[in-house]
Amino acid sequence: MKKNNDNQIRKTSMGARASQRLGNTVVYVILAIVTVVWLFPFFGILLESFRVETRMQVSYLWPQQYGFDNYIRLFTETDFLIWFRNTGIMGVATAFFQTFFILSMSYTLSRLRFKGRKTLMNLMLILGMFPGFLTMILIYKVFADAGLTLNMAPVGLVIVYCASSGMGYYVSKGFFDTIPTTLDEAARVDGATRWDVFRKVIMPLSKPIIIYTILMGFMAPWGDFMLASYIIHENSQGMNVAVGMYEWLSKTNLNTHYTMFCAAGVVVAIPVTTVFLCLQKYYVEGVTGGAVKG
Amino acid sequence: MASVKLTNVKKIYGKDTVAVQDFNLDIADKEFIVFVGPSGCGKSTTLRMIAGLEEISEGTIEIDGVVVNDLQPRDRDIAMVFQNYALYPHLTVFENMAFSLRLKKAPQDEVYEKVTAAAEILGITEYLTRKPRALSGGQRQRVAIGRAMVRDSKVFLMDEPLSNLDAKLRNQMRAEIILLRQKIDTTFIYVTHDQTEAMTLGDRIVIMKDGFIQQVGTPTEVFDMPVNLFVAEFIGAPKMNTFKTDLVCEGGKYYITPYGAKIEVTGKKAEMLAKNSVTSGTIVLGVRPEHVTLSDSSNPAAIACKITVNEMMGSELHLHVVTENGDKLIVRIPTISLEDEQRKAMVYGATIYVTFEGKVMHFFDEETERNLLA
Repeated sequence: MKKNNDNQIRKTSMGARASQRLGNTVVYVILAIVTVVWLFPFFGILLESFRVETRMQVSYLWPQQYGFDNYIRLFTETDFLIWFRNTGIMGVATAFFQTFFILSMSYTLSRLRFKGRKTLMNLMLILGMFPGFLTMILIYKVFADAGLTLNMAPVGLVIVYCASSGMGYYVSKGFFDTIPTTLDEAARVDGATRWDVFRKVIMPLSKPIIIYTILMGFMAPWGDFMLASYIIHENSQGMNVAVGMYEWLSKTNLNTHYTMFCAAGVVVAIPVTTVFLCLQKYYVEGVTGGAVKG
Repeated sequence: MASVKLTNVKKIYGKDTVAVQDFNLDIADKEFIVFVGPSGCGKSTTLRMIAGLEEISEGTIEIDGVVVNDLQPRDRDIAMVFQNYALYPHLTVFENMAFSLRLKKAPQDEVYEKVTAAAEILGITEYLTRKPRALSGGQRQRVAIGRAMVRDSKVFLMDEPLSNLDAKLRNQMRAEIILLRQKIDTTFIYVTHDQTEAMTLGDRIVIMKDGFIQQVGTPTEVFDMPVNLFVAEFIGAPKMNTFKTDLVCEGGKYYITPYGAKIEVTGKKAEMLAKNSVTSGTIVLGVRPEHVTLSDSSNPAAIACKITVNEMMGSELHLHVVTENGDKLIVRIPTISLEDEQRKAMVYGATIYVTFEGKVMHFFDEETERNLLA
């Protein structure tokens, strides 16, 4: 009887193991398929960028001849370097100012209690639901009058990116809310001002969220097309990469610029990927360990 | 080192939630004062108002003769230890303790000197380079105390600093706080819900309930002469036995008649009853468990009761008993005074006879619950 029972247990446990293995296999197969589908466009662009035999779109994947022709053309025959520089500067400036605004805003909303705090938060939530381009025409008019279009468009765009960035407080406020307020209180009793608390206690504990905010700020200008194209117009000196490269996709240009477009795409991916790879190691978990009794 | 004076302090949360009211207290220089009371009595709120972490709705708080109502915590020259330690997790123990000195831009030598001196006193020198997460609860609390110590501030505030520690460590830290107090001779305000901490640490105890001060006095005063039923039951463990009974005044002598027994009030208590010209009537009587003694049926002052729970504490026995009419009492008997057979007979359901002397009784008004002798 006992032996039977033992066998039974062994069987079920083996059955459980087998079914778990099957389940894992299914999951991995699905993930592999998704990965391939997801990576294929990137891979395609990379291959196209090294294609030398033709500058047109082709119906096959592997290039017949590999070479750096497209990259050389990109940097010698076009304004790409200017656009790239513009976007890079905008990215750094946006990352800097936006991070400052968002984190200050979030800390204020998380820690200070003032009249109208709830109303302000709700108002910003509702305002944030309207698509940004509703205000595009107005922004253009204001910027045109202020001389922040055309050549000066990068400055204007940084102002637009940063101006309302404080409204994106949700994520970092949520993070600050998890830092015990007794830390603030302890620091204030220790002689700290609110600014000291923010700088010396909250910021060192918020590395992951600072990195996240910097990344978001840095990436915004690289992909912006709609607003940028309005403000930049057709002034090549003030363009960002998206607006500049768009011209190559027109019917007349496509057949001569397609492979170069792909090369530009690869170059644009480099800074964003680099920044991400450099900063990702700071996503450390458990930085608040030991602060207070849990 | 400074005196603290609270005058008519009141705290209202929102529109009408009153947390503290009519709080008047003079704390002398270098006094160790303890706020004690159950959860929600307003003791922590009061402490936080002194610290400047809560706004004062009404009244004034003075530190060293200066009204501090509108001063920020950093301008009040106070140090505070929090219940949950509140250590800065990204800084080492040394930097945690040095935090306030760094803010003051104190010279490096002074920082080093003060931090190591405090660490020496608290026995945490070997942990100075560690981060808080690598410390045990007791060590963290020492660091928190150390951080407050290096401030050399006028007033030392402690908000339930031992509540998060286990029982053994709590007793040990309690003794250390008493020693610490001798080393850093300053004004202490200590909040706790634990009456043992209050009794052992305080020069004076402030007992609070529902936002009001119930009584302020030395540990002996509040233990011997609680002003009302709440204080009587709150101070002392196990809590005081209280039950309704009749007080009879016959020929200049006072008797109480609990459960058919007749016990004469003697000593100072009798004198005070006479002095306060208390008359016969129903009162609430209070007798501490350690003042109840075993007796036998032949004693006219004996009360018969049945044992419901027998707690053997080692050095003493806590007997939970019920009287004929269902009142519950606790009796605390030193084990050493019992014969083996006697002890064995004290089982669930057994009947025992208890009594108490007239000089240990406390008398409370049935309605107002105030001490009739106070």
